[in-house]
Amino acid sequence: MNNFVKKLFQDSNLRRETIPVVVSSRVRLARNLVDSRFVKYACKRNLREVANKCESVLLKCPAIKNGSVLNMDDLSEYERMSLVERHLCSQEFIVENNESRLLLTDDHVISVMINEEDHLRIQVFGFDLNFRAMFDKISEIDDHVSDHLDIAFDERYGFLTSCPTNIGTGMRASVMLHLPALVVTKQINNLVLTAQKLGFAVRGLFGEGSEARGNFFQISNQQTLGLSEVDILSRLTQIIKSIIDYELNSREVVKKEKIVWLYDNIGRALGILRGCYSISSADAINCISLMMLAADFEYLPSGLRDDLNQIMMKIQSSHVQVLAHKALNSNERDFKRAEILREFFATVPNLKFT
Amino acid sequence: MDKCQFCGKPAVVHMTQIVNNKTTVIHMCSECAAKHGLFGKEGLPFALLSNLGEALFSGIKKGSTVNGLICSKCGCTPMAFKETGRLGCPHCYEDLKPLVDGIVESSQKGPVHRGKVPKNRTRVEIEKILTTEPTDDGASRPEKSRKSKKSGTHKSKIEELRAMLDEAIKMEHYEEAARLRDEIAELKKTKEVGE
Repeated sequence: MNNFVKKLFQDSNLRRETIPVVVSSRVRLARNLVDSRFVKYACKRNLREVANKCESVLLKCPAIKNGSVLNMDDLSEYERMSLVERHLCSQEFIVENNESRLLLTDDHVISVMINEEDHLRIQVFGFDLNFRAMFDKISEIDDHVSDHLDIAFDERYGFLTSCPTNIGTGMRASVMLHLPALVVTKQINNLVLTAQKLGFAVRGLFGEGSEARGNFFQISNQQTLGLSEVDILSRLTQIIKSIIDYELNSREVVKKEKIVWLYDNIGRALGILRGCYSISSADAINCISLMMLAADFEYLPSGLRDDLNQIMMKIQSSHVQVLAHKALNSNERDFKRAEILREFFATVPNLKFT
Repeated sequence: MDKCQFCGKPAVVHMTQIVNNKTTVIHMCSECAAKHGLFGKEGLPFALLSNLGEALFSGIKKGSTVNGLICSKCGCTPMAFKETGRLGCPHCYEDLKPLVDGIVESSQKGPVHRGKVPKNRTRVEIEKILTTEPTDDGASRPEKSRKSKKSGTHKSKIEELRAMLDEAIKMEHYEEAARLRDEIAELKKTKEVGE
């Protein structure tokens, strides 16, 4: 196994403060060098030059402590995919491989994709809604970059990016939310439409015929030009706070009106997680979603929330293969996934319904 | 039952994405869904990526002339953009301006950057560029790229600021409006002194 990936998995035991409903958050800036073609149109030689230049500047950035640079060519396919599953880089980044390099700090809070769609995609991660702190951090890196590199900027269009949907601030901020009650009470479609009308994109996965599947939704700003970073972030925070309230209120409704359904589903899910021998990732995610709800309701210790976030990551296909130290087919993955889940949920205390 | 758009097997994952009021639904089998990243992935799935250029292109108002444009630096054309959803280089923003403006109009909040400016290029410096360098064609074009630091006249800058002021008032961003009002006054003063 690649040493870097190995370290990544060992470090995943870092403890994080979590809050109900919010799974993770992120702020990302897109930047390009003024004299080079955008990645999609550049030749390999040019991209290598860009990568070398960016790498040396980033490694000297005081805001990036303990950063290492990972060359995508050094990783196996599933190791690369595991980085995507961890949100550390995008799918496009690992598939296209345009002299792509990933800079990552030891605490996994900062990652920079060099030569993704834009020359630089700087990302800062969080686990709450403290966008101010995330923006301050990313801005510090951005200042260092623009001090040392000639960044493409235009008075009217702001920071110039490969796709015009990212110009202006070049910033996207997103939050991954866990919204089981809005799904169960069938209010989620309305919410998606409303958020969209307000200029926010909602992404999520919907599984056929299963109400509980796909309870995770990523909300992000769609517009990047015509608003300042602070405006974008405060609007996003505002809408996220309303969604959280909406979800928490719906949870109270579920508790009041569907208590037997709730206890039954949570209880059965824990039974499956403790006893399964072969499980698909979709089924596993459904069950873990219910465990997260149980932790938020304090049927399980709320301190488990962070562990549940981590286990949800670990049961994704490429993570399962990294943990097995080899490539696995679909059946083998389902088997290994069940093993990981049984082992973890054996340590989880019994449910305490209040 | 829907079939997976990638391999034709029965689809179990159905993803709906709305971009610029256009809804796209993707059906995938579990294997293809896993291959395309379940939900950890950032941005659009690849099936959508290839359509992005087209989606953005279709947002451009009919009648705007984008055909025949070509970037003098990298050779990127509107057709290339339609195919890839990406521009070729920073200079494209100048040479393919009608295309960019069409996309900006249909997908962005406003026409002008309101956010951060690179540290080595403070607002003051930009104002200086905008106010001291005359345009070669006399037209109000303060939107030149960084490489060619030519820019608009006082008049065009003031007009632009006025438009921004109107918008700020409309959006009830009064602090911003006050700042713009002062900026216009300051600019008018400089103009008078200059003359």
